[in-house]
Amino acid sequence: MPYLNTLQDTKLSKLHHLDIAYIAVLLPLLLIIKAPMLLFMGVVLALLVLRKESTPLLMTLMTALGIFAIFLSSYGSFNFAGLSRLKLFLELLIYILIFAVSLQRLTREINFYLLLSPLLILALSLFFFHSVVMLGYVIVEIFVLLWVILSFRMQGSFQETFKMAGSMFAFSLPWVIVLFIFFPRISFEHASYGFKGEGERRMGHDGTMFLDNNALLVPSNKIVMEIGFQEKMPPSNQLYFRGSILYLDKKDHWAPMPMFVQRSYAQGYTSIEESITYKVTLYPTLKRWLYMIDSPQKAPKVDNHKISIDVDFISKTQKDIDETLHYQATSALKYTMNTNIDETTLNVALDTDITSNPKSWEIAKNIKAQIKDPKKRADAIIKVFKQNDLTYTLKPKALDLNNSTDSFLFDKKLGYCVHFASAFVNMARMSGIPARVVTGYKANPSNGIQNYLVIKEKDAHAWAELLIDNRWTRYETTAWASSMDSQAQELLDQQSNTQTSQLNLYMMYVKYQIETWILHYSHFRQLQLLDKARKDPLFIAQLVGTLLVILLLSFMLWRYFRQPLCHDKLICLMQPLLEKLQKEGYKRADRETMHQFLIRCSQEYNKNTKEIDKLYEVIRYGGDNSEETFESLKKLLKAFK
Amino acid sequence: MKFLLKLIQTHRRVRQGGTRYSALVVVMLFGFFLEAYMHNFNLVYITLFFVFAIAYVAGPLGLYNIGELEAKFAPRGRLFANTKGELYFAITNNSKTPAWAISLHVNTLSSEVGRIEGKETKEAPITIILPKRGEAKEDECYLQSFFPLSTVRFVLPIEGGYDTLVYPQPQGIPLRSFLQKQAMHFGEEKDFDGLAPYSGAEPLSRIHWPSVAKGETSVKTFAHEQTTQELAFNFMDAGTNDEERLSQLCLWVLECEKSHQPFTIEMPNRFIQSKKESIDAILEYFARY
Repeated sequence: MPYLNTLQDTKLSKLHHLDIAYIAVLLPLLLIIKAPMLLFMGVVLALLVLRKESTPLLMTLMTALGIFAIFLSSYGSFNFAGLSRLKLFLELLIYILIFAVSLQRLTREINFYLLLSPLLILALSLFFFHSVVMLGYVIVEIFVLLWVILSFRMQGSFQETFKMAGSMFAFSLPWVIVLFIFFPRISFEHASYGFKGEGERRMGHDGTMFLDNNALLVPSNKIVMEIGFQEKMPPSNQLYFRGSILYLDKKDHWAPMPMFVQRSYAQGYTSIEESITYKVTLYPTLKRWLYMIDSPQKAPKVDNHKISIDVDFISKTQKDIDETLHYQATSALKYTMNTNIDETTLNVALDTDITSNPKSWEIAKNIKAQIKDPKKRADAIIKVFKQNDLTYTLKPKALDLNNSTDSFLFDKKLGYCVHFASAFVNMARMSGIPARVVTGYKANPSNGIQNYLVIKEKDAHAWAELLIDNRWTRYETTAWASSMDSQAQELLDQQSNTQTSQLNLYMMYVKYQIETWILHYSHFRQLQLLDKARKDPLFIAQLVGTLLVILLLSFMLWRYFRQPLCHDKLICLMQPLLEKLQKEGYKRADRETMHQFLIRCSQEYNKNTKEIDKLYEVIRYGGDNSEETFESLKKLLKAFK
Repeated sequence: MKFLLKLIQTHRRVRQGGTRYSALVVVMLFGFFLEAYMHNFNLVYITLFFVFAIAYVAGPLGLYNIGELEAKFAPRGRLFANTKGELYFAITNNSKTPAWAISLHVNTLSSEVGRIEGKETKEAPITIILPKRGEAKEDECYLQSFFPLSTVRFVLPIEGGYDTLVYPQPQGIPLRSFLQKQAMHFGEEKDFDGLAPYSGAEPLSRIHWPSVAKGETSVKTFAHEQTTQELAFNFMDAGTNDEERLSQLCLWVLECEKSHQPFTIEMPNRFIQSKKESIDAILEYFARY
């Protein structure tokens, strides 16, 4: 409390106000400013704290230090060609601005550009950040700057100026919301430079699939993708996000079809019975795959990226994904497809080394001989898997990579998705069914709320696709494990709804909604809203209703902040009584004391104010400030009619 | 609703004008707009809209801040020509909330009033020098505020401005010198009781010439002097022109008032007696002469 009182009574000078503004706007920039410039800022700060006089010698030294700091900070980055890149140009501009402001601040004289620079720095910092955290910080920053201006203008106490800033802020909120929704946007691409706070690489799928110790297994909770479905989330068995298709069994790993292979293979949808549209936020993977639900209809459009989609419905960018991507995709859930698979692809999809896995070959050969229908053959292979008591484990024993299928199915019997998928594809190929391995992500619906779904690194998965009836059909190979070991079970339990994970998920959901509706609000979203308003009059009513509620809330907030501060507890306690009496026509005259007024009310208007007066006098002049007396007065005031 | 009605009423009373900071806001909005539009940054859009909205709501808030004030001229004290004086204005805040950053302006002069508590009347002075005696009137009196953001200047004219009387500038020979000139001493001139430094106002008969010869100008002081019981001033003897005479008489009147000495003044068409008229009435007569 003493600290609060000190804060309340502190009168800030104009320079102090400016310092607060500078601290607020410079904080986020500390993340991008290079070390020499930070050092220069540190020296300036130390000189200000030590209250050093700005002698000509000191100013000359600081000028030299500043120029040197700018030089070092930009050393190697800048050349004249580099300056044409906006990010470098802005960085240099920030350095020069900080340099000029620091020197001016050392003189302790306020000039116009010292007053103006916080706003310039704020504007420049917005070039570098575009995240939910920065959104929150920008709002705080605007509030602080508003408070600084008001505090300087009002010369009031901290509480008063804070309340005034709150009231102005509340008053301006509805305007901000209305403008944000309706202000016309254009569909320019987002600038792709800036601070890459989210630039950390995500692990997961990497275009190959190892079966040895390099086998990909990342039981991490790091988020790879966030999905926002336009409508309801599809069921669990449809939440397969396609990454890459692997055709070649290289013993220790599976690889995609080589680039040099000429494929004249074509496939396309003949009809789509059910499709789903969703937005994907893909965090940096430093790979080129874009993930979409099986089976995507077309390549998505992504700002600053050229996306292609191949015959296997694999979507890729031309450069590594080193920043968060946002794209909208549509996938077919129920469809019929026309597949004209070419000879090369068919041969590769049937290629298997029968000599290295004799046991499997024996079984597959029998299946092939006994069953004609490929689907039934696949069912027979599944039966083999089920009969072999395979255990799903995250720590399998090393397989003999020279005969990995036999080793997995008949010897070790332990493995996870990659081992199951690899063995199944090999068995299918041996039995004459073209097959391939698909890697990607299998989302866990428990990581979703309503139409929002989070995909984590640990959701990386591999499954098999078999060409049955001229159509690639997905097989979830891990489903045939007879048991699961404790560690895998533990991982699965982690996914289930503990309170913390549920809370975390809700926070992610809020963050996602803010990103979708605020940070990535666009011309497209505006058109969506307009379209919805055209089709649905109820939506207009809802929108208007929501805006009115916001207006009302902001007005209430404004009223709350505008309430005069209570400096005298006793007077504040008496105020409702005075207002009540005034409403009834009994007004306290100018220069009339409270005692005189209460007595007059009692005598002239026959009001029961005598007791109140007594207690008032006891507290005001009798020195009795005890809680009990205040309580008694409160009771009397409450009972007053 | 009440607030809006009040605002509309206030809007008519209060003059508003942009400041250089409003130009700055316009430049900022333009800059943010370019930044937001060129790079499609919603954070910049949000900042742009906040700047716009806050600058916009500053209008009604500033209007409400000053609009609840009522000011009128509150004459207090005397004002003399060519002399620093203070004009007082009573400023009443009819709102429950305080009014902030108020300043009082009379023509080109200004005085900071600061905050005025809710439901409070504050008497605010403004220092002024009026050049001429007589009636002084000025309609260009107003309250001004830059609250809240300094982007708009709110001006609330003070109805009627001020209308006051300026008395002649009190200047001339001090009353003491006048009295000394008139004073008669008892006994022979050589019976003086002591010497005092020459102040420049003593008559020649008082100068002690022997000390002048020695290089020190002294005057003789007497233990017993005949003081004038009632001072009699004559308008025509008080100076060489009317303004000088009025200034002189004004000075003497004020000095007499201070020392509670009765006096008479013989004006060309009137005989003034301080026992019959108040000092203010006499000064008013001078002011209007």
